[in-house]
Amino acid sequence: MRKERDGISVEWVKLELLRTAYATRGGMLAARDPRFVIGWYLIFAVVPWFTHNITVLAALFTVCAAAVVLSRVGPLILGLFVIGFVVESLYVLFAAWFFGGDLTTVLALVELTLKLATISLASMAAFVSLDPEKLSDGLLSLHAPAMLSFGVSYGYRMLPVLMEEFHTVVDGHRLRAAPLTDKGFLGWRAVVRTATTLVQAFYPLMLNTAKRTRTTVEALETKGFTYAAEHPDGRRIRLAHLRADRWDHLLIIGTLLLVAASFALGQAYPLHGGVR
Amino acid sequence: MADSPRSSEHLSSDVTRRSGPPELTSAQKLMVFVLSMTLFGLANIVTEVIPDLQVGPVTLKVSYLAFVPVVIAALFHPLYAALGAPLGEIVFVDLLMGDFSGIGELEGYLQMFLGIYVAGCLVRNPRSRAQLFAAGLTVVVIDKMLSAIVDIAKVWVGVDDAEFVPGLPQSILLLEGIGFAVALLISGLLFGALPAMALAPRLYGKIEPLLGMAPRDPRHPLPLAERGTGAFILLALFLSFVAMIAAFTSDIFGNFGVWEPDFIEQYGARFLWIGVSAALIVLVAAVVTVRFVAASRRGRAAQGRDTGTRSTAPEAPETPDTRAPEPRKTGAQNAGTRNAGTRNTGERE
Repeated sequence: MRKERDGISVEWVKLELLRTAYATRGGMLAARDPRFVIGWYLIFAVVPWFTHNITVLAALFTVCAAAVVLSRVGPLILGLFVIGFVVESLYVLFAAWFFGGDLTTVLALVELTLKLATISLASMAAFVSLDPEKLSDGLLSLHAPAMLSFGVSYGYRMLPVLMEEFHTVVDGHRLRAAPLTDKGFLGWRAVVRTATTLVQAFYPLMLNTAKRTRTTVEALETKGFTYAAEHPDGRRIRLAHLRADRWDHLLIIGTLLLVAASFALGQAYPLHGGVR
Repeated sequence: MADSPRSSEHLSSDVTRRSGPPELTSAQKLMVFVLSMTLFGLANIVTEVIPDLQVGPVTLKVSYLAFVPVVIAALFHPLYAALGAPLGEIVFVDLLMGDFSGIGELEGYLQMFLGIYVAGCLVRNPRSRAQLFAAGLTVVVIDKMLSAIVDIAKVWVGVDDAEFVPGLPQSILLLEGIGFAVALLISGLLFGALPAMALAPRLYGKIEPLLGMAPRDPRHPLPLAERGTGAFILLALFLSFVAMIAAFTSDIFGNFGVWEPDFIEQYGARFLWIGVSAALIVLVAAVVTVRFVAASRRGRAAQGRDTGTRSTAPEAPETPDTRAPEPRKTGAQNAGTRNAGTRNTGERE
């Protein structure tokens, strides 16, 4: 039973991770100019902090939730988000009750949860659908350090190699080690064995990665990588493909209108958390 | 590039330098950066796979394998290791796995950067287990302490008069305290300090030649004093700005709470005020941004014009952040290192 589960799980997890990283993503915001998507996200990341009105926050939350649906966020990420938020709020609620909270506490917590959830939903809608390299180009055009975009390109290409190598090293450790005769109370021996294998696997991995890094960097520097990344001409060439069309402008205008509508709604039906 | 990666490696001790190890070439800085980024990114993917264990309100989980950046920062230059490691987390886990959280990433980057940088500066001798132990704990203490402060600040800013809501401050503090203790025990001790104590001395002297560098020599500690203070002042300035802004905004909101009863009959007034102040803030931010962008454009254009006339291009810094504290090499120094390097190239591997 143990053998089967291990065989399936490690391989499955690896494949699932790769699928998450490389699956073609689509949806409402995927085709837009990354700079405008970042702007769209920033609107929702900033606006919730300007109000204590729960109606406004609920309206903003609804807009972001709709955006998440339109962006085709995967069920795994969405599920993790929902569970995380529900569990977190339950614990805070429980602790608040323990210290003698009342209805104002609940309202305050609802307000906080709505704020944080809106921002998380906005980031999910904006960035899950966006291709990482596109996003890094957008950030680069907003004067993020050139290293960020290099890191994304490098990580995008190296991830499968690294995961494969890590898996091989861990398998080697397991092959050479004698199986545990006794798992101990609650399987603590198995946990300790896994943890030590994990740590030991990093010893060869660090050496191998160091070697590979040197090859990569020397090859890059031969072609003048750092210089090109810093030079304005190189930057211009790299970002030349970014073009905004009228849909991008419509996106921002529509979003601003929706935010304004949310505030108008909150004005008409105000509901406040906190102490009055 | 003015100097090849091999030019200044193995600046042996016979070269008379009063303090500090040999300067890293820009290629070597990039190597340390990429190595740190890759390894910590991979470590983070591994931690993503490790399941959490929920015991009541306490989540027993491995936040990150802190020993990886600690080992890299202990063996190599802490600044470049610290710049790379949190980026690895952002790139490998957040961007590739579609979990990028916008501004939140910046906050996480700064916390982790500060933690690793300080930890790497604590280690003067990578073979000393006591220093590695301290470094492993320091990373987690700094990172988690800052993140707890940010979390509490979010509650304080996000909720109207949070300190007067019954039960809220205590419960937030309690949960943050529990989270901090668990992280310190698991990420800091079990997956931070102890593995770092085991791995760093074994890697010392083996991994550095692979990047074409001399191992860190305890007799020639990194000249962190001047370098550290520069970076540290910048960072302190930035953090105090953030704190100031947070305090300022909460003040604004506080004032609105106070004003509100006066305007409660005049229906549009409050809405108007919020709208006007929001527009004002956005306007000021936009003006500042445009000015900054324009200035940097001008700077870049000037730099572009310069490059033709520069005979020996000085090392180009990897990121704008590193530019400030970085002492520039002068042409004479460059020539000196190159000569020294050519004498010793035979030593390599």
